[in-house]
Amino acid sequence: MTSLFEHFKAMARLRAFDEACLDGFHKGEIHGELHTGIGQEAIAAGMIPSLEAGDALVSTHRNHMHGLAKGVDAHALMAEIFHRETGLCRGRGGHMHPFDLGQNFSATGIVGASLPVALGYAYAFWMEGRANVGIGITGDGGANAGAFHECLNIAGAWKLPFVVVVENNAYAISVPIRHVLATPTIAERAAAYGAPGWRVDGTDPEAVAEAFARAMEHARAGRGPAIVEATCQRFQGHYEGDHDSYRSRDEKRRMKAEHDPLAITRRKLVAAGDATDLDAILAAAKAEMAGILERVRGEPRPDAADALRYRFAS
Amino acid sequence: MATANIRNLNCSQVIAEAIGLEMERDPRILVLGEDVGRIGGVFGATRGLQERFGDKRVRDMPISEMAFTGMGVGLALAGYRPIIEIMFADFVGVCLEQVYNAMAKIPYMSGGTVRMPMVVKTAGGCIGSAAQHSQCLWGLFAHLPGMKVVVPGNPYDYKGLMASALTSDDPVVYIEHQSQMGKKATTFRAGAVVPAERYTVPIGQAAVVRSGRDLTIVTLSACVEHALEAAETLAGEGIDAEVIDLRGLVPLDMATVCASLARTSRLLVVDEDYVSFGLSGEIVARAVEELGPTALRQVARHANPDVPVPAAAALEQAVLPGPASIAAAARRMAARS
Ligand SMILES: Cc1ncc(C[n+]2csc(CCOP(=O)(O)OP(=O)(O)O)c2C)c(N)n1
Repeated sequence: MTSLFEHFKAMARLRAFDEACLDGFHKGEIHGELHTGIGQEAIAAGMIPSLEAGDALVSTHRNHMHGLAKGVDAHALMAEIFHRETGLCRGRGGHMHPFDLGQNFSATGIVGASLPVALGYAYAFWMEGRANVGIGITGDGGANAGAFHECLNIAGAWKLPFVVVVENNAYAISVPIRHVLATPTIAERAAAYGAPGWRVDGTDPEAVAEAFARAMEHARAGRGPAIVEATCQRFQGHYEGDHDSYRSRDEKRRMKAEHDPLAITRRKLVAAGDATDLDAILAAAKAEMAGILERVRGEPRPDAADALRYRFAS
Repeated sequence: MATANIRNLNCSQVIAEAIGLEMERDPRILVLGEDVGRIGGVFGATRGLQERFGDKRVRDMPISEMAFTGMGVGLALAGYRPIIEIMFADFVGVCLEQVYNAMAKIPYMSGGTVRMPMVVKTAGGCIGSAAQHSQCLWGLFAHLPGMKVVVPGNPYDYKGLMASALTSDDPVVYIEHQSQMGKKATTFRAGAVVPAERYTVPIGQAAVVRSGRDLTIVTLSACVEHALEAAETLAGEGIDAEVIDLRGLVPLDMATVCASLARTSRLLVVDEDYVSFGLSGEIVARAVEELGPTALRQVARHANPDVPVPAAAALEQAVLPGPASIAAAARRMAARS
């Protein structure tokens, strides 16, 4: 079992990655938008222990942490976010559209569109009799797209190895999820698909890891789909530059004070008598990601003359 | 009009003002869309409307475009005049079914017995968000029969065309340009003055926004401002360009375009949408049909060369029209004439 300390280390890297992106963004180095997962690290971290190289993960507009959890190279991902030729997609995709075939990882900027693609992987694994799983990530908001129902119904009907992870950060941009859900939770919809569903505290990496491990075992064993709903808070605005006027100052203060997965995990480690220098772990993660950003800064951007390349294979 | 100059609203405020005036006038108008209520839209084009008209008439929807676009159809059948906001034009992919098989076809399929007074309001165009958040897609809507397609390019038209869309008994797709939503009225070369009172701009009428003798630049949306800027540069080089703002695709005002071409006989179509099988080809084809195959001395198109909009800024610039590339296209024509 992954120790809480290992989870902390993983979360430190995830946060440092997005903080490096923020640094570059606010220096005007990223053309376009940026969505970060800061505050939601425990979910990606909790998935790491159950992800195998052969599994496939399809994520959303808020995808960096899922990519890193799946094993995507941090440099190649960051170079893509900063639109460099050295990026995963040679700077053509950008931060919402990273594709790493080697790691079976991809994402989409269209909300709700991640799940069907993950289901395609699940169908392939099922046909091939492979013990791999297609994992689709969605936010709470994306769970209200019709594709959520369509995919889980198909997976339930044919017992496809399909796991849906819902990052429930309580908002879809400005819309509070409780205003637009027919049921108190998203996990309870699992009953409609003959699937198990778990709702867990998504600021607790151990709770996420346990539920995700159960979901993955279920799917890997050929028993069909499962849903893991992990509750969390998004610390930044929906995108960088979002006025975020829909959340009160007090709500945002409490969210950071009470729902920070790194701070919570740190308190637990200290209470359990862990003597490791946790500041050193954070500093090492920061240094690693700052180093990657420095390297990316020196790398070439795509040349305008190549704008028409890569449209067709032949 | 005296106060209009100093109001200096941005385009999203102008649109909100237009919708507010229509909602006051007609209680059957409602607005359904993501984030349209509490924050008044991600671009601010419905700001303040929920406070004024309540959360039944201005409603924040879940991310369920297929459902709420279809609801628009049902509401229209039930006697309402819904505005359905699809946040970015790209997302119409999720609900195109309700747009083109229901909204657009029902008036005809019903033998004219059913009217579909519904507005699909969406934002197209590029502000640097790559392939899935930068498309114009007006050519797509225009290709599918049954919808009027309105594409304003300045503050005056944003307001007046929204008023017309909301009084139309036909389904209207109203496409804003993302880059113009936060842009102040006074920064526009055309249509900068926006009266506070209600007025309409007729759907299907192009506007000559600059007169010139040497060539006709036909365009729409944000490219109108780009073309006007290019025309200023070109004027200094002895090229006198006429600029026509189409203000929409359906119906297409070819009379204005052809009247201009009869004088200049040189046509440059500038379109931020994809070049093939779309607006620019349509303009050329209709000009040839209407004026005859020998009437035009030169024809050129400057549009997205059929590439998904790339993330990197240099690549994006290379595939989208801007003031410099429009001027360059006109210069190439001049050099060949
Ligand atoms: C089909 C579609 N509709 C709307 C959007 C615009 N949009 C982008 S993210 C977002 C909110 C997503 O909320 P959620 O799924 O909860 O994810 P979160 O951003 O909270 O991580 C919306 C409405 C989109 N990208 N795609």
